[in-house]
Amino acid sequence: MRAYVLQVTQATLALLLAPGLVGLIRWMKARLQNRRGAPMWQPYAELRKLFQKEVIVSSNASWVFRAAPFLVFSSTVAVTLLVPILAVPLPFDRVGDLLVVVYLLLLGTFFLALAGLDVGSPFGGMGASREMTVAALAEPAIALAIFALALSAGSTNLGQIVARTLAHPGTALSPGHLLAFGALFVVTLAETGRLPIDNPATHLELTMIHEAMVLEYSGRYLALIEWAAATKLLIFFSLLGNLFIPWGVAVALTPATVAIAVFSLLAKFIVLAGTVAVLETRIAKLRLFRVPELLSVSFLLGLLAVTSSFLLR
Amino acid sequence: MDGMFSQLSVLGSSLVLIFGLILLWRRGVTAYIAAFRWQSIVLALVTAIVAYFAADHELYWVAGALLLLKGVVIPGLLKRMERRFPAERELDPYVNTATSLVVAGLLVLFGYAITRPLVALSQLPTRAGMPLAMGLVLVSLFVVISRKKALTQVVGFLMLENGLALLAILGTYGIPLIVELGVFLDVLMGFLVMQIFIYQIHETFESIDVEQLNHLRH
Repeated sequence: MRAYVLQVTQATLALLLAPGLVGLIRWMKARLQNRRGAPMWQPYAELRKLFQKEVIVSSNASWVFRAAPFLVFSSTVAVTLLVPILAVPLPFDRVGDLLVVVYLLLLGTFFLALAGLDVGSPFGGMGASREMTVAALAEPAIALAIFALALSAGSTNLGQIVARTLAHPGTALSPGHLLAFGALFVVTLAETGRLPIDNPATHLELTMIHEAMVLEYSGRYLALIEWAAATKLLIFFSLLGNLFIPWGVAVALTPATVAIAVFSLLAKFIVLAGTVAVLETRIAKLRLFRVPELLSVSFLLGLLAVTSSFLLR
Repeated sequence: MDGMFSQLSVLGSSLVLIFGLILLWRRGVTAYIAAFRWQSIVLALVTAIVAYFAADHELYWVAGALLLLKGVVIPGLLKRMERRFPAERELDPYVNTATSLVVAGLLVLFGYAITRPLVALSQLPTRAGMPLAMGLVLVSLFVVISRKKALTQVVGFLMLENGLALLAILGTYGIPLIVELGVFLDVLMGFLVMQIFIYQIHETFESIDVEQLNHLRH
């Protein structure tokens, strides 16, 4: 019973923290660029504003356009129940492993792309086609990075991967894990629309990917999509933080360990957010034609990770 | 103790290989030189780690010489060369980036396949890094044949040499100091000769694009 309560708490916490995480990255970026920046809770205010606004839907839109925000949001919420954010093993571990997590996230991306195509605006179609290109290239890299972890743990179950790394701390520094971390980090940037692939800070530019797809949305639909996008970032961050550096994740369910888990999670998020902010300040957006090259770097890292975990087992 | 030694040596070898793979993704001579410099520094570190765990004092000297020659002197000379050909900063390969990355991945797998008997034969804790060193040798050969500019071919050759040095260190804890010094001298001499070649190529064709050498036939 207690485990189920924790499971729901974890999902709620993830949903509540997600906009704050996006706000934190924006604030850090602003400070690094010598701007004062909006406060960290700005995304919460934006979400509140969007939920109160009227929804305007194009007359060409079909049911896909109306259903997509709910599908995107609910698939993301489902993932927050499966990923070890605070504790392992979770009771829902039986329902889904790493593969389910990745493909649930892709299901959201798929519906977002459909919705972008649905209204027939040129930007929507362009964004959808780009998003699909990036997703198709990122997918083999994610799969390989996951297999590298699964091979060294002997299971694709997220809880078991975490438990295995906790039991053998040396594996966290093994080349397989480090290379897979690199691969997954690049994929995280690609999947969550961060800088070298997509610029999250601009609207109405010819280079945008995510923003182009959601351009037609307004009001609570847009709020749901933005919230889901923020949660996706949080999910990828907790995969990076908890699968590769599992220390702090609660193994036994006592108040003390859960408190430690919350604090270590926040610390990991701050470090990862700082890394992303520094990266986004230092580098420029890649030309669209160089994105496949970056993703093949990630694929190569994943391939090497699998080879070394397979052969050095 | 052995576990940690093996862990560290594999980690170092992976880093050395990664710096070799960076060549395939970056364009621009400066990035190539930086990658080579960092690779040599990591190689020197791996040598020092082997020296520490194997309690072999001669290897410290090798590590020091590596750091001095390949970490400081040769990158410095490369930098000077780069400054002399400012028009040649952008590098265009024969094979596009995405393909060459996939080819490099396959080459590393091939490296694993061909070092299998070697690894099976060895009893040293460092044996797990040998396939990575062989992978680096193959990848640098690929860099040499797939790039057009003479300068990048030189960097590829130097990385090949790094790969061989890594293989020797991991496979046998290094060769005797006197042989190692001879190898270093050879590398330096070879590098200087190649430098002269590059200057000559530049004199003749006003470019260091080796495709131009085809004109010599007519």
